[in-house]
Amino acid sequence: MQINRDMNILVVDDFSTMRRIVKNLLKELGFSKFDEADDGATAWPMVQSGKYDFIVSDWNMPQMTGIDLLRRVRADENLKNTPFLLITAEAKRSQILEAAQAGVDGYIVKPFTAATLNEKIQKIFARVAERQ
Amino acid sequence: MTFATKIDKDKVQALLLAIENDQGDEAAQLVDELTKIRETELHEQLKQLTRNLHQTLDDLGEDTPILLHAKHDLPDIAERLQYVVDETNNASNNTLNSAENALGLLEQLETLSSDEDLSQEQVKPVLEKINHELTNIMLAQSFQDLTGQVLNRVILIMTALEDSLKDLIARSKHEYESIPERVENELDQKAQEEKGMGPNVTQKSKLDTVESQADVDDLLDDLGI
Repeated sequence: MQINRDMNILVVDDFSTMRRIVKNLLKELGFSKFDEADDGATAWPMVQSGKYDFIVSDWNMPQMTGIDLLRRVRADENLKNTPFLLITAEAKRSQILEAAQAGVDGYIVKPFTAATLNEKIQKIFARVAERQ
Repeated sequence: MTFATKIDKDKVQALLLAIENDQGDEAAQLVDELTKIRETELHEQLKQLTRNLHQTLDDLGEDTPILLHAKHDLPDIAERLQYVVDETNNASNNTLNSAENALGLLEQLETLSSDEDLSQEQVKPVLEKINHELTNIMLAQSFQDLTGQVLNRVILIMTALEDSLKDLIARSKHEYESIPERVENELDQKAQEEKGMGPNVTQKSKLDTVESQADVDDLLDDLGI
């Protein structure tokens, strides 16, 4: 399956090093268009612009959490189909189920590997292609 | 002795009567008198508490571990931990800088190698730069030695502090073992999970967590995700 490598990706994490790691891994996978946000609260207005084809977000952030950002995206008629991947240290089963219920497309626990990221992205966009 | 036993019942009855008869001034004065007793009683209790605290600290002696910890070790802990935060941040940034540079140099090499007349002179400086970046990455890992030493020191201080506190509890004739377990109510727990709690590193916080990405995948597979 061909994934559009030109898509606009938003990377949301309050730690700049983690944003850099995610961006570098995405670059290795052939993607090149990224923006960054350091919190759900700064990400939300960016997301509302409708620019992004894919959102990769942390959960635990000071102002607005990743799960809240996800719920806002899913509740918005124009944005609700945006693929959303959580990359987080949150590892309680109840939290993972909560994220599933909120409509997450993929869930990666930190620390993670490049192979895991690749696998999840493949899976997410295979499903997106099926939906279309 | 409780406040209730100190309250003058006659005065309370007089107050009720004054209110019923609409005698505002009389009622106000009686309220003042009644609360004064209560204020004096509170004051006495506070004085007693303060005396007890002074006595306890005097009994401990100036060189008791808990007092020394409070003055000398605790203020250092935040500083030591801040050092760990800063050093790990620096190391991570330095490593990422060099890794990104090395990736760029590899790309350069790839472009060069598409040229058939590639000479040793062209390749060598790029290889040297890559070598330099990899050495930088290696050196950046020295943070582990430095922060490890600081963290071990913090663990020592915290363990000693815990012992001193247990000792203080014993001296004040309290049974450490009889201190009740903390009951987490379900709503608080839920709110905490919602906010996110970071890596689950303690035995207690590891309850009901997944152990690996494979566990996450299994869980989501069942839900068709």
